[in-house]
Amino acid sequence: MKKEEGNNMENCADVIIIGSGVIGNAAAYYLAKRGRSVIVLEKSDNIGNGGSSRNGGGVRQSGRDKRELPLAIYGVENLWPTLSEELGMDVEYYQDGNLRLGKTKEHIKILSNLSKNANESGLDVKMISGDEARQICPYLSKEVIGASWCPTDGHANPLLTTLAYYHKARQLGVRFITGEEVTQVKKIKGKARQVVTKNNVYEGENIILASGYESREIACTFGIDIPMNRVLLEVLVTEEQPPMFYQMLGTAAADFYGHQSKHGSFVFGGSSGYEAFNKDNGTPTTSSITASAVCRGIMKYFPILADAKIVRTWAGWIDDCADHVPVISFVEEVPGLILACGFSGHGFGISPTVGMLLSEMVVGGKTSIDIDAFRYDRFKAKV
Amino acid sequence: MKRYDVIIVGAGPAGLSAAIEAAKRGLKVVVFDENSKPGGQLFKQIHKFFGSKEHKAKIRGFKIGEELLKEAEVTGVEVVLNAIVIGLFLDKEVTVNVNDEVVHYKGDAIIVATGASENMVTFEGWTLPGVIGAGAAQTMMNLHSVQPGKKILMLGSGNVGLVVSYQLLQVGCEVVAIVDAAPKIGGYGVHAAKVARCGVPFHLSHTIIEAQGDQYVTGVTIGEVDNKFNIIPGTQKHFDVDTICIAVGLSPMSQLLKMAGCNMEENPKKGGFVPTCNEYGETSIDGIFVSGDVSGIEEASSAMIEGRISGIAVANKLGFINEEELKLKSKELEQALLSLRQGMFGPENKGKDITKTEEDCDVSINLLKKGYMTDEEVVKYPGVKSIKGIHAVIECSQNIPCNPCQDSCPKKCIRIGDKITALPIVDEESKCIGCGMCVASCSGQAIFLVNEDYEEGYTYVTLPYEFLPLPTKGMKGVAFDRSGQEVSEAEVVEIKSLAAFDHTNLLTIKVPNEMGMRARFFKQI
Amino acid sequence: MSKVNDRSRDIGEYKVQPDDDIIICRCEEITKGEIRKAVYEGMFTITEIRRYLRTGMGLCQGQTCGKLVKGIVAKELCVSPLDLEAAMSRAPMRPIEMRVLGNEKRGGE
Repeated sequence: MKKEEGNNMENCADVIIIGSGVIGNAAAYYLAKRGRSVIVLEKSDNIGNGGSSRNGGGVRQSGRDKRELPLAIYGVENLWPTLSEELGMDVEYYQDGNLRLGKTKEHIKILSNLSKNANESGLDVKMISGDEARQICPYLSKEVIGASWCPTDGHANPLLTTLAYYHKARQLGVRFITGEEVTQVKKIKGKARQVVTKNNVYEGENIILASGYESREIACTFGIDIPMNRVLLEVLVTEEQPPMFYQMLGTAAADFYGHQSKHGSFVFGGSSGYEAFNKDNGTPTTSSITASAVCRGIMKYFPILADAKIVRTWAGWIDDCADHVPVISFVEEVPGLILACGFSGHGFGISPTVGMLLSEMVVGGKTSIDIDAFRYDRFKAKV
Repeated sequence: MKRYDVIIVGAGPAGLSAAIEAAKRGLKVVVFDENSKPGGQLFKQIHKFFGSKEHKAKIRGFKIGEELLKEAEVTGVEVVLNAIVIGLFLDKEVTVNVNDEVVHYKGDAIIVATGASENMVTFEGWTLPGVIGAGAAQTMMNLHSVQPGKKILMLGSGNVGLVVSYQLLQVGCEVVAIVDAAPKIGGYGVHAAKVARCGVPFHLSHTIIEAQGDQYVTGVTIGEVDNKFNIIPGTQKHFDVDTICIAVGLSPMSQLLKMAGCNMEENPKKGGFVPTCNEYGETSIDGIFVSGDVSGIEEASSAMIEGRISGIAVANKLGFINEEELKLKSKELEQALLSLRQGMFGPENKGKDITKTEEDCDVSINLLKKGYMTDEEVVKYPGVKSIKGIHAVIECSQNIPCNPCQDSCPKKCIRIGDKITALPIVDEESKCIGCGMCVASCSGQAIFLVNEDYEEGYTYVTLPYEFLPLPTKGMKGVAFDRSGQEVSEAEVVEIKSLAAFDHTNLLTIKVPNEMGMRARFFKQI
Repeated sequence: MSKVNDRSRDIGEYKVQPDDDIIICRCEEITKGEIRKAVYEGMFTITEIRRYLRTGMGLCQGQTCGKLVKGIVAKELCVSPLDLEAAMSRAPMRPIEMRVLGNEKRGGE
């Protein structure tokens, strides 16, 4: 690879990745595996400090936008089952299925529609009765009258997955630098080459921008806009419980979602309804009402958890794209630049697939799964 | 939602003091405390406090707690106990867990006075039952009347380690040693002297190598450390113990402030992670204040003053008093705070090697290393004079802010002066009447009455005595010197327990003449 | 307060020490050796150690082990403990049952 005159050889690599979340780290790993030199730049002091370390850990195919389904299915079939082995670290992947619960006729209608859509795309999701649901998970409230059931869905530990990709990539020689805030991506002679930070300048043949919501501001510096909103979501976690059930859970009413972790604690995310309006103080701040609302939601379906003690709550931002699916795309008008952001709150489950695809984009220029639906220039006016 | 003028988190000395000052000025105040009893650490403190009258000197901690509570009641402060503030959110909103509910409140101001928690030290076996914090031992003894163990090793020679060691002796435990990795005793010399004369040995420059035991502590091995903190081979010492008390400092419990988004700093001088704040305790978030240990580890006396300052500052902030009153009152309180921070152990002198007192006397090296002054050292201090007839002997050799002795003498025999860190001087001209008020008033139990001229061949020594059962008149026993060594036979001549002494009994023993300046403790044979 | 931190810089190798099996985080039973090893595996901050090993994620949320973990990590990285940022603090300040947290009301109502 060529280097611009005057720049420190150390700060040059085949690929510069902006953002050390699970997407960036996964891409770094798959690229290093294919022999590419990579530098990952992270603004905060911690690897994976954004949504990657704050989400609910769902690895699901069901309930996704049709466009994301192939990525999700690919990951569940090919990457997740052997990920722990491949990365040399237990990412606590469970494939015990996904129960989306309903208590009213309206709920069942919503779930049936979801199932139907999923079936049309070839995903194994079916409606089951309340009793059948209780056979799968005996701790469900008697008030559950039905559920959608996807046996191939599951969950994993997002903190460990993000750090596992980091750990392995670092072992393979990827250079990770935290505390490096990117201020600009610069084109040199018509090609995106330089990544300017507050302290240094880095150079790469390819630049992958995978820094969540903050990608928008950085994208401005090369004339691209990704229409995203930042939405604050909250999660809570209980103390360790005896092993009860390992299905991924959700509800038709969207009161909460979550699962029991390998550790035994239950992790649940949810909302108060004000997510789009929640304020913060510059960092993801929990509100005084959300955790309580999520608790009430959970207890309606799992009365047995009423005495489980909550030890912590936290918040995180999702980068909600205008049409709620990500931008995974070459940016032809900015040669060398690849975008991977806007995962809208469901990036974790497809992160291994996306990481793999990003590596394909750099190495061969094309991907084994069609990502046309995620183009950066798809945002057209409604009329 | 219920909106208070000020919500105070923590009903310890800082929190209650702040509440009182705010309520006095008309604010609607509520104090939430997670414990079932208010007063924070005050109710565990059974020893007499230091300082001056305004700092509540010579009053026992728990009494100060009782007074504060009464004042809070009288000024109309609402204190809610068993109330855990589980979160401090944006817009100065708190959620409080009371009974089985979580209640939302808002304050126009918040004062966080959550205090501190005990630090831990690791060594092989530190997770065995029997290894407890010194503060925990204090809670067991003083609040629950439970003896923490039978044979105890104390790790840490700061004031907490020294004071708790003494209290352990008072409840009948054996303190086998006080150990500290530092080369000098960290707490007041007088606190060390109280336990040294009871025979508790000090091992400075030592650390715990391991605690032994299968299901609980049965023994401990310590060893000397070099300046690289490595164990020097051959210096191991073993003790059979069932308890190891850890007194290695406190850390502010500043989690609520961190959660709220205050600017924080890691400040070793303050004991750890604290919010940055101004002289009134206001943090980087408008309307959120801190006072007491959570803003920097000091003591209850400082916490009370800081609490009062914050309470008054909040009153000003919310328009209940004007700028002038704030400036006036806070200046007065800051003076009081400053005077507490003077002397050998003040924050300015932390880490310094002090070799001379303010009066240019030599600081007793033995006191710093072994916990007691030698016979040769003790006579060099202005409180130790050879006077005919009964007179006070004040073995106070370090500059600490403290002066109750001065006010206690009806004959004005004791002089300290305006600077309360000055060493007390015994006036050679004054007429001591032997009332013993000075002996009882000294929070450091460092004052003795000595009379070499009452009975031929004997010296009568009056000691402060706070152990049960009390010795009786005529009882025969042994006198111990400052190092805890037996020095002679002794006979109890008198035991005096007046209400004015507040449970510091005056024990007068007679010892052979030449032991008059050595006998400093008594045990029945 | 970000400082540029190159995770590929040479911090040496993990060497077993005799006291590696001492438990540091009592709530989650994490040993000194596990913490030290994690540093060499790339975890350079208290937050990363926490997410990697669960130190500070138990019932006391790091109140007991926080200072201890900091000291161990700082030593391996040859930095002052003051240079390591503390992990975030969050509600609830004490563990609280779901049914209690869900039993909400506004003061005065």
